[in-house]
Amino acid sequence: MGVVDRTRDLELEDVALWDVGKKFGFYGAIAAMVAVSMFPVFWILLSSLKPPSELFVFPQEYLPYTVSFEGGISVEQQFPLTLENYRTALGQRPVGTYLLNSFIVASSTAIIDVVLGAMAGYAVSRLRFKYKLHVLLVILFAALLPFISRLIPLYRLAINLQGTPAGAVFGLNQYLGLILPYAAFQMPFAVWIFQAYFKELPDSLEEAGLMDGLSRVGVLFRIILPVSMPAMATAAIIVFIYAWNEFLFALTFMTQDSKRTITVGIALFGGQFNSPWGTITAAVFMSLIPLLLFMFVFQKKIVEGMTAGVGKA
Amino acid sequence: MADGRTEAGEVTRLGEEGLRGRLKRYREVRLTEEELAVALLTPVMLFLLAVSFYPIVDTVWASLHTGYVIDLPGKTTAFVGVENYLKLFSSESFWNALGVSLFYTFVSVPIELVFGLGLALLLQKEFKGKYFAQAAILFPWALPTVINAKIWAWMLNPEFGVISDILVKVGLLSQPFPFLSKPDIALYSMTAITIWKTTSFVALILLAGLSSIPDHLYESARMDGASRWRRFRDITLPLLKPTILVALIFRTLPAFQAFGLPFGLTGGGPGEATTTLVLYTQQVAYNNPGPTGGGFALGSAAATVITLLALVIALIYVGTLYEPEVR
Repeated sequence: MGVVDRTRDLELEDVALWDVGKKFGFYGAIAAMVAVSMFPVFWILLSSLKPPSELFVFPQEYLPYTVSFEGGISVEQQFPLTLENYRTALGQRPVGTYLLNSFIVASSTAIIDVVLGAMAGYAVSRLRFKYKLHVLLVILFAALLPFISRLIPLYRLAINLQGTPAGAVFGLNQYLGLILPYAAFQMPFAVWIFQAYFKELPDSLEEAGLMDGLSRVGVLFRIILPVSMPAMATAAIIVFIYAWNEFLFALTFMTQDSKRTITVGIALFGGQFNSPWGTITAAVFMSLIPLLLFMFVFQKKIVEGMTAGVGKA
Repeated sequence: MADGRTEAGEVTRLGEEGLRGRLKRYREVRLTEEELAVALLTPVMLFLLAVSFYPIVDTVWASLHTGYVIDLPGKTTAFVGVENYLKLFSSESFWNALGVSLFYTFVSVPIELVFGLGLALLLQKEFKGKYFAQAAILFPWALPTVINAKIWAWMLNPEFGVISDILVKVGLLSQPFPFLSKPDIALYSMTAITIWKTTSFVALILLAGLSSIPDHLYESARMDGASRWRRFRDITLPLLKPTILVALIFRTLPAFQAFGLPFGLTGGGPGEATTTLVLYTQQVAYNNPGPTGGGFALGSAAATVITLLALVIALIYVGTLYEPEVR
C-alpha cells in the first residue's frame, strides 16, 4: 500500500468515526434535553404515587422497583405505589372543583377569542379599509400592556358592581370576572394567529364567491370560515393554555374556595415548609394532564400558534 | 377588489345610493368591503377599549388620588398629585423589587437567547422521533408558572429535595442544600428555573425564523468557500435579526412581569430577596397596607411605573433591532 492510499484510508476511517461521534453527540444532546425537560414531570408523578413514609426521606428513591441480578434475576420492590394522594386531593380537598372551574373558564375564553379573533383577523388581513394600520397598531399595543395595570381597576369595577344587576355578570367569584379579562388579554394573539392564516389564503377564494353572486357576508360565512378550522383550533388551544395557566387575576378575583381555579387552588395549598407534598404533587399532576395531552397530540397546532407570522414578515 | 362599489356594482356613497337604497342593502345583509370591516372590528375594539385600555387610564387616575379609591361612605377620594409616586420612590422595597426584576429579566433573557439559538440549530435537523422529542422539550413552556413554582419548590425542598439528592449522588454536595433559604442563591435559583422553562420557547421562535432563510444563500456562500462560522455570522445572524426581536419582546415583557414564580416558589423571600415588581405591587395593593390603607393608590402608582418601563423596554428593542424590510 502506498503512502497516499494509507493516508486516504486513515482519513476515511477518521471521517466515519467523526460521523459516528457526531451522530452520538447529536442524539445524546437531544436525549439530554428531553431528560432535563421532562424530569420534573416524572418526579411529580413519582412523588404523587409515593406513600408518606417514602416522601419525606433523604436520600430519595427514584424507582419503585429495581431489578437485582444476585442469585438469578429478581424484581425487588423498593416501595409500594399508592393512589392515596389522589384520593385525598379529590375527596378531602376540592381539587375536582378547581379543575372544573379552570376548564369552564379556559374553554369559554377560547370560544370568545376564536369568534372575535376570527372576525378581526379576517378584517385586517383581507379587507381594505381606511385606518387599517392604526387598527393593527392599537391591537398590538394592547398586547404590550402589563396585566398588573389592568388588575386594580377591574377589581375596583367588580367591587363597585356588587349588588347591582351587572354584578351578576361581572364580579368577584363570577366566571365572567375571569373570562372577560382573559379574553381581552389574549385577543391580540388570537387576531394575530388568524390574520397570519388568512393572509396565506389565495385571493381567488373571495373573487370566486363574489362572482357566484354571494355577498361579502356570504363569502365570509360560506367560504372563509369553513376553511379556517385549522386556525381556529390553533387559536383555541393557545388561548386555552393561557387561561388554564393564569394566576394573578384568578388569585384576586376568586375569593371563594368553590370558585378557585386549579392554579390558585394549588398555590394556596400550604406554606413552604410544612406542605402536604403528597396531595400537592397529586393535584399538580392532575393539572398537567390536559397540558400534556395538548402538547403531545396537538404539538403542530401549538407550534403554529406560537410562531404565527414569525419569519414571514 | 373594492373600488367603492359593491359586488353588484352599486355605488356606495350615500348621495348616489340614497338612504332608502342603503337601508334596503343592509336589510339584505349586503355590505361593502369597508362596512364589513367596520362591523367585524367594532366588537373587538370596544372589548379592548373596555377591558384593556380603560383600566390603564383608570390606573393612572387612581395613582394620582388619595387612599381608598373604592367609593365608601366616610371615605372620600381626593386628588393628591404625585404624592403616591413620591411615597413609592422613597420606599426601599420598591427599589429592591425593581432591582430583583431587572436582574431576573436581563440575566435570564440573554441566556435563554443563546441556549435557545443552540437548541434551534439542533432542532433544525430532521431525525427519528423528532415529534416526541420536540413535544417533551417544549412542554415546560406550557406549564403554569405558579404550578411550575410548586414543582420546583418541592424539588428544591431544603430537606427532601431531589436536586440536592442528585448533587449529593454525583458528589457535588455532602448534604441537602437549602437553595431557597439564602437570599442570593434563591434569586439565582429562580432565574435558573425560568431559563429552564422558557428556553425551548425561544428556540421555537428562532426555529421559525431559521426556516425562512432561503437555502440558496448558504449554497452560494459554501461555493465561495465561506466557513461554517462565517456562514453563521454573515447569513444566519443578520437574517435572523427580526426574529430575535420578536423573541426578545415575547420573553422580556413576561419576565419583567413575573409574579407566579416568586409567589409559588419563595413567596418573595427570604426577606425580599425574590420579590419582583409585580409581586411587590400586588402585595402593596392587597396585603400591606392593603386597600383600606391606601394600598390601591400606591399599587396603582407602582403599576403605572411598570407599564411605563414595559413600554420603554419595548421601544428600545424596536428602536435598536427593527429594520425596514431589506429583502
